[in-house]
Amino acid sequence: MRVLAPAIGFGLVSGAILAIAAVGFTLQFGVTNVLNLAFGEVMITSAYIAYLADAAGWPLWALVLVAAVVGAIASFLLNALLYGPFIRRGIGLFGMLIVALAASLIAQNALQIIFGARFLTLRIPAGRSFHLLGMVFTTAQLGIIVIAAMTLLIVRVILRQTRLGKAMRATATDPALARTCGVQTDRVIGAAWAISGALCGIAGLTFVVNLGSFQSTTGGEILVPIVAAAILGGVGHPAGAVLGALTVAMASELSAAFLDPAYKGAVAFAVLILVLLWRPQGIYAEVVTQKEAVA
Amino acid sequence: MNDDLLSVHGLGRRFGGVVAVADASFGVGRTSIVGLIGPNGAGKSTVLSMIAGSLRPTSGTISFDGRELSGTAPHTAARRGIIRTFQTPSEFARLTTLENLLAGARATRGFTVGGALLGRRWWRSDEDRLVERAIGLLRRFDMLPMANEYAGKLSSGQKRLLELMRALMAEPKLLLLDEPFAGVNPTLSRRIEGYLARLCAEDGITMLMVEHEMGAIERICHSVVVMAQGRVISRGTMAEIRGDKKVLDAYLIG
Amino acid sequence: MSEAWQFYISTLLVYLGVNVMACWGLNLQFGVAGLLNFAFIIFQAIGAYAAALVTLGPHDPDSYQDYIFGAHLPFPLPILAGAVAGGLLALFVGVIALRRLRSDYQAVVMLVVSLIAASIATNAVGLFNGAPGLSLIPKPLASTLDVSLVGYQWFYVGLVAVCCLIVFVITKRIQSSPFGRSLRALRDNPDAIAALGGNVGTLRIRAFVIGGAIAGASGALLAGFIGAWSPASWDYRETFVLFTAILVGGTGNMLGAALGALLVPIAFLEASRFIPSFGRPGLVEALQWVVIGGVTLLFLWFWPRGLLPERKRTYTVPEG
Repeated sequence: MRVLAPAIGFGLVSGAILAIAAVGFTLQFGVTNVLNLAFGEVMITSAYIAYLADAAGWPLWALVLVAAVVGAIASFLLNALLYGPFIRRGIGLFGMLIVALAASLIAQNALQIIFGARFLTLRIPAGRSFHLLGMVFTTAQLGIIVIAAMTLLIVRVILRQTRLGKAMRATATDPALARTCGVQTDRVIGAAWAISGALCGIAGLTFVVNLGSFQSTTGGEILVPIVAAAILGGVGHPAGAVLGALTVAMASELSAAFLDPAYKGAVAFAVLILVLLWRPQGIYAEVVTQKEAVA
Repeated sequence: MNDDLLSVHGLGRRFGGVVAVADASFGVGRTSIVGLIGPNGAGKSTVLSMIAGSLRPTSGTISFDGRELSGTAPHTAARRGIIRTFQTPSEFARLTTLENLLAGARATRGFTVGGALLGRRWWRSDEDRLVERAIGLLRRFDMLPMANEYAGKLSSGQKRLLELMRALMAEPKLLLLDEPFAGVNPTLSRRIEGYLARLCAEDGITMLMVEHEMGAIERICHSVVVMAQGRVISRGTMAEIRGDKKVLDAYLIG
Repeated sequence: MSEAWQFYISTLLVYLGVNVMACWGLNLQFGVAGLLNFAFIIFQAIGAYAAALVTLGPHDPDSYQDYIFGAHLPFPLPILAGAVAGGLLALFVGVIALRRLRSDYQAVVMLVVSLIAASIATNAVGLFNGAPGLSLIPKPLASTLDVSLVGYQWFYVGLVAVCCLIVFVITKRIQSSPFGRSLRALRDNPDAIAALGGNVGTLRIRAFVIGGAIAGASGALLAGFIGAWSPASWDYRETFVLFTAILVGGTGNMLGAALGALLVPIAFLEASRFIPSFGRPGLVEALQWVVIGGVTLLFLWFWPRGLLPERKRTYTVPEG
């Protein structure tokens, strides 16, 4: 029991971070159908740029903004310069995966060439420790949860209340139909990459703050949990992605606490492979949509 | 007991809450061409898929050549003699036309790993025989000039012919044709009609054909099964069902 | 030719042979049968470990290496053990993980299999000695052959050449047979081949297992040559290198796969060890990966069929 509460606390924090990333991933994947395996590298790129801003003395809220903007631009360019052209060339889903992996490899190693192989740390202090119901949080971690909540709220408002958001949801459900209804799919796709990129950047920043230090390969480490959370939640369903993220994060932290910490990453592997082999359409999508139908 | 090659009793299929096919019963007599018609969404393709084995029925039975068939996998149904063609082009694009036909043939020496490893000398004569058969088919369907062309490069009409020839290489007892005339120009349509009619009359191949092209149905089908909204609403010759009020209503509503 | 040069050339040739074998195996799975085996490297790795285990001898509790099994099998059984291990692992993985999934999901499943295997190899200490890997693997026939060090190198080149020849015959016969044609049909349209009587599952598993066995044999040869093997060999990026190799050389074409093996893992990666290390440690390696990624993208864009595309198989057909 003494181990359970702190583990749940860790699960909440990493779940919050994972939720931001998973929502970003699922929005983009849902609208564009591209499995962006370079997502982790965009996260880390945003973290690196935020590191530079941090070294220049910028405050935390500015760092969040920087991360969001860098993430948005990087993702947008990634699509505009790489994925988009290949899709128009008619390359097919597996070809796109190879393209994404190649992009991931290039980005990881380019980051290492530019920034070196050292581990870097942001200067944001962890702050005091708070004890809540047996769980332990630092100020930074509470801040992360707040950032996650605010970000996800903003996304929800965008998706539900704005025309762009509705257009994105329409394109994710049925691109051909959306086009005939006058939705300008190219703009929607660009916006999806930018919004998802912003989420990606924020997730990257919060991830490295929580982790402590990072380097060029750190992004790759979190990719599997993100994809697992997004697919578990049903591709294109942000609410599902949040549930998926909490599930993966909790399962990882609990298994690390009660079993072998070395296998923490293995939980995410297992979730992803089981969901793909057994129920690739996800588990939470139906739960969430049924709730919406009833409510 | 009837001597139908294929008979279907109370066949049904649900997808979650949606009933695609309910209580469908009909028979396909030996060496006959039966048309399966009905408005869009009537469940015709679903019935075809269940017979071909790519969908499991949720109720009812299928019996083929005297044996129970329901729930078999597509390749097992095919090995028993049920060969289906597809609505959308499904050629093996990176194989040549001739190779497509050879790929459709029943397994001979060389089709297994062991046979392959024993080398060309082991399977050469079987293969030569298959090549002869394939060339014969190509000649019969006037496709000989395209023999060494990549199947992906053929026109859509030629791809239809290819699928038909490929199905014939598999030595079918029952051919399931899924809209063989859809999107085909009238001249080629007539040609295909001719081929199908001769395949039935001369080679004794039985056919069940889903089609919207009423002219073709009238000209070559011996009898017709009409479906609407998942149910069989009429059976008989074209003349009989034409006067059937239920059929007229279905087409007006559906 | 000086001894140093002989060492270098013979080493390159051994690596070339092993990579050509691996590329032929991957080509059979991916180029011919269309199987998206993004876990390919684990079959080579398990072959290497199997060969190591059956030559290191039973585990000695006092030694610093901790592993399962262990035997002293004579040459050439360890190579066969590698092939069998590769084939069995392929059977296991294939039965579980090969599904009718959209192609990118299928590749991700295989990628995750690869990551899981790497994780197990690194963390399960009693299995294959965990993170440090296995070392001091005896070289095949080293004690019985009375040759100099350089002589042994050339012997190994010959050994690899013979194995390459065997793999060549196997793969060539499969690819030019009706079975190979069924695999290519499977690649192009699995539903259609099923509708014609082909058992998709069986065809897939057969191609997967044969490819896995070839990978395992290549791993066994490599382990015997290097004398050591580590979990880094299970890294998914190694699979990526081989995919790049066959994409560059030409998928579905054996000569293309061999050419790809020559150009990518050998000419680019191995030969560039010759370049003096400049800049920070790790800089050259990082640049190599950037180039590999870049080459992949270039070829996917300009020459998606590779340098030597799949040959058309024509038959003599009478005139009308």
